[in-house]
Amino acid sequence: MPTVDIDPDELRELTGREEKSDEELQEDLFGLGLEFEGWTDEDEFELEFAPDRLDRLSVEGVARSMRYQYGDSRGVHVPSTNKADWTIEVDESVPDERPYVTGAVIRDVDLDEDGLDSLIQLQEKLHATMGRKRAKGAIGIHDLTMLKGSAATEGSPTIRYVGVEPDEDRFVPLDSDAELTPAEVLEEHQTGREYADLVSEYERYPAIYDDIGLFSFPPVINGRRTEVSTDSRDLFVEMTGTDQWTIDKMLNIVCYALAARGATLEDVRVEYPDSELVRPDLSTKTKRVAHDRIETLLGIDLDPDDVIDLAERSGLDAARSEDEATSNEESSITPLEDRDGLEEPDGPADSDESNAEDAASTGDLVYEVTIPPYRVDVLHPLDVIDDLGRAYGFNDLEPRYPEVGTVGGRHERSRLERAARTQLVGLGFEDMLNFHMIDEGQNYERLGVSPGKGVYGAGEPATIKEPYSEDYTMLRTWTLPSLLQVLENNTHRAYPQHLSEVGFAAELDETENTGVGEGRHVGAVLADHEAGYEDAKARLQALARDFDVALETPATEHPSFISGRAADVVIDGEPVGVVGEIHPKVIVEHDLEVPVAAFEFDLEALR
Amino acid sequence: MQLPESEVAVLEAANADEATPVDALAAATDLPPETVTGAAFELEEQGLVAVTERVDETISLTDEGRTYVEDGLPEVRLYEAALEAGADADPVSMGQVIGASGLEGAEVDIALSNYARKGYGAIESGEITADPDADPAADPESNALESLADEGTLEAGDVLDQLERRGLVEVAESTVREVELTEQGVTELMAGVETAETVGQVTPELLTSGEWEDVEFAEYNVEADAETVEGGRVHVLREMSERVKDVLVGMGFEEMDGPHADADFWINDCLFMPQDHPARTHWDRFALEQPTHIDELPEDLVERVERAHREGVGEDGEGYHSPWDEDFARALALRGHTTSLSTRYLSGTEIGEIEPPARYFSVEKAYRNDTLDATHLLEFYQIEGWVMAEDLSVRDLMGTFEEFYAQFGIEDIQFKPHYNPYTEPSFELFGTHPTTGELIEIGNSGIFREEMLEPLGVDCDVMAWGLALERLAMLTTGAEDIRDLHGTLADLEFLRNAEVTY
Repeated sequence: MPTVDIDPDELRELTGREEKSDEELQEDLFGLGLEFEGWTDEDEFELEFAPDRLDRLSVEGVARSMRYQYGDSRGVHVPSTNKADWTIEVDESVPDERPYVTGAVIRDVDLDEDGLDSLIQLQEKLHATMGRKRAKGAIGIHDLTMLKGSAATEGSPTIRYVGVEPDEDRFVPLDSDAELTPAEVLEEHQTGREYADLVSEYERYPAIYDDIGLFSFPPVINGRRTEVSTDSRDLFVEMTGTDQWTIDKMLNIVCYALAARGATLEDVRVEYPDSELVRPDLSTKTKRVAHDRIETLLGIDLDPDDVIDLAERSGLDAARSEDEATSNEESSITPLEDRDGLEEPDGPADSDESNAEDAASTGDLVYEVTIPPYRVDVLHPLDVIDDLGRAYGFNDLEPRYPEVGTVGGRHERSRLERAARTQLVGLGFEDMLNFHMIDEGQNYERLGVSPGKGVYGAGEPATIKEPYSEDYTMLRTWTLPSLLQVLENNTHRAYPQHLSEVGFAAELDETENTGVGEGRHVGAVLADHEAGYEDAKARLQALARDFDVALETPATEHPSFISGRAADVVIDGEPVGVVGEIHPKVIVEHDLEVPVAAFEFDLEALR
Repeated sequence: MQLPESEVAVLEAANADEATPVDALAAATDLPPETVTGAAFELEEQGLVAVTERVDETISLTDEGRTYVEDGLPEVRLYEAALEAGADADPVSMGQVIGASGLEGAEVDIALSNYARKGYGAIESGEITADPDADPAADPESNALESLADEGTLEAGDVLDQLERRGLVEVAESTVREVELTEQGVTELMAGVETAETVGQVTPELLTSGEWEDVEFAEYNVEADAETVEGGRVHVLREMSERVKDVLVGMGFEEMDGPHADADFWINDCLFMPQDHPARTHWDRFALEQPTHIDELPEDLVERVERAHREGVGEDGEGYHSPWDEDFARALALRGHTTSLSTRYLSGTEIGEIEPPARYFSVEKAYRNDTLDATHLLEFYQIEGWVMAEDLSVRDLMGTFEEFYAQFGIEDIQFKPHYNPYTEPSFELFGTHPTTGELIEIGNSGIFREEMLEPLGVDCDVMAWGLALERLAMLTTGAEDIRDLHGTLADLEFLRNAEVTY
């Protein structure tokens, strides 16, 4: 899970809770789902978090959530923005792959070292999460005083988002002294190399210009000219990406964080060739949440005022829906049926009305819940109910066992597996449990077989695209290779070693929807000084008898077995496996010094 | 008194005046020495004899020592060759002398290192001199080797130590037991000791003839360890899985089954996992190289799932602002969790529509391309369970899981609010370790989102949870390295010694 580093002193300052000890803060943070992992080298908390609340990727967002938790803040707060001065003009040359841009101007920031560090961390964490490593959204923050915008549109200073040829223009990127073209940045600059894959396929590269020239090459790197420092007072924040909603939300999170440090937000006009936006978009969203659903999901009865209180403590606003009137009308009819045993309602009209209201409050009541613009995780009314539950305290809920009767049972396949395993154990086998992934060398070559039809166990493999290591490149097609490996790894342990496995095996099968034929095999090896064909056959016979199936063992040739001591396992007339003495070349290949008799067949045959 | 035959024989052969070695008693009684030893200890327990032990040293020639007895010590052969070459007068080249001596390989080094030590002469800058006064016939080591070869013994002392250091002789210690009659033994002998007929094995003849009534059964040392027997046994992790299945069946859960290699559609898309979610594009997924895509997916379901991803579900629902592509959904991978079984069952494509209430589970393998270490495997068993009913609440979820974990001795479950793309609310489950008392993560749970259930055609609530079987097994068996249990590196000794789970 991702982590975020938070300076506890900053947290105390931003929450106004100077008296909290480090331990108390850690406990309060755990309540928010931020788990203390340890201290960083800079004496900060390293906190692990679940990647839903991306508005908590910096100390400002965490502090905001804590203020709600403490009850020091309530409801939705939206910072005001000043009227737009600056414009981002989107040129038609912008690469089709990355068409979207957004931005905001931030004035009167007062960034000390900690504030700047926090801003940089927020930028990086947003890149890593919502920005999908900058592929979906990338952030550029610039010192506004270093930008020069011409009066292109009626006196409004303008920067332009355009597409450029890879070697069309030059600029000095961050952490460099040389003027490079975007193409050179991708080859020569460390950050450029790291993010080259994002744009290298583009015909034209994304670029941002002001009057002076190229100053940013998103999503790769900014120019040095507009680098932000602790001296910066006014900032220009721009974001480019593949989805407008995503970059607008990332922008909101950054705006909220800077506003929390006392900065003033200022709108920016974004002029696409065929439309115009004003950003940041700090409009709120509304979710309609049914009171009934809150009660059933949390399993408790709640007073409407409590719901509203819980919402406000979560940083949301909730109000009874304006549609409540219609709800009331409906509910004034239905509750009558529920009033069995009560006297016929012949009292005054207003008492009837109050009954209707009560019914509404527990029945069809719906809340309009306002979601603040920094929240990116509220997709559905359910998510609001989760917030209410957290504010209520999930651990304060009394567990109860659901009074729902169902009949349990095992799947037939798993019952058959268990029965086969039980019989094998009774025959003296030690039950094994091996990996399903293996490599070609182990599965085929070391057993003397090659992939293809006609030889039991050597089906064509289902292969893995990017294996963990060269030992796990495919799904095993049979179990004997795994069992022989166990023997190989246990030559220092006491013999006899009689091992069996009832386990998964798979091979390519065009008749299957997935193209993979998956099955269970019964595999067994007898490794001891006197093991021979008869020992294997005897146990096989016992299994056949146990499951009341007819076993025949016509002679066969199988490269893993000694010629003349191998047979097909034919059960109820179908060839389903092989039994015999393992060939000495296979035994020696596995560094064994005892004879090995073995069998393997499809579990299905015992059904 | 009556005694078993062997004891009577030993008692009679033993002497009250001097201790007799076991070997001598064996010769006298015509019994194997181990039988005599056994009988002697039995008699000693009854106070009839005294058994004493002493340690004898036997000295024998090693192979190397034997060679030198025949060929002479290397340094002596070097000296003789040096004399022959006239090194008693003037220094002679080493190479020449060694060549003449016939010494080869390691013998050369042995000769050189002992030559000067024993005063046969000097070796300096590649030349050798021989001391004319040295007398190989008086070489104590050489003589000692010969006398050992002739007489079989050697006096203890410096020479013996030296020979032992040179690896020419071996000193072995052996315990010799001697038996002597006690006064009580003499008394009993005088009074008369009879042979009791004892029987080792109960035989069919003995039983059918009725002879068993007249015999005495030889006593065994019933406290001694017997031979180790390795019977068949169920794998310790499999036992754990069986126990989990028992518990779940007992709680009314029915078992699911389904493909290990499956389309991402069932593994992720049906779970409302956005296609650009890091877990789907990342390292930890085992995509198949061959075959690559599933042939068929239910068309209408694909449409509904895509709509849920793009537009969300319900009046106020919102989708993900992420791309969605059917081809991507059809790609095959080894399932990263067994929740793919749940989506298949919930969709109605496996066993038909499932009506609430219902409970389903599986304990099956899932695959993750994660680091392989003592607590993580590429393949692990996931316990997956879900409950479908009208109006399920978080409290029902808590009650169900408390009940489940209590079966394994894990009490005081804590529910930490968590985030999963496919459940809301979601909880990480923490429990108290049954032996160490630590608070540890024991699972992940939640109530399936409507964006997941609605496309699958489910219109009631479903709560679900999952955890790794290996985690539960490590908790309850105390295993420290999961690789000892699971896979081809399994240590048979560990499995044989593992405590049975029930």
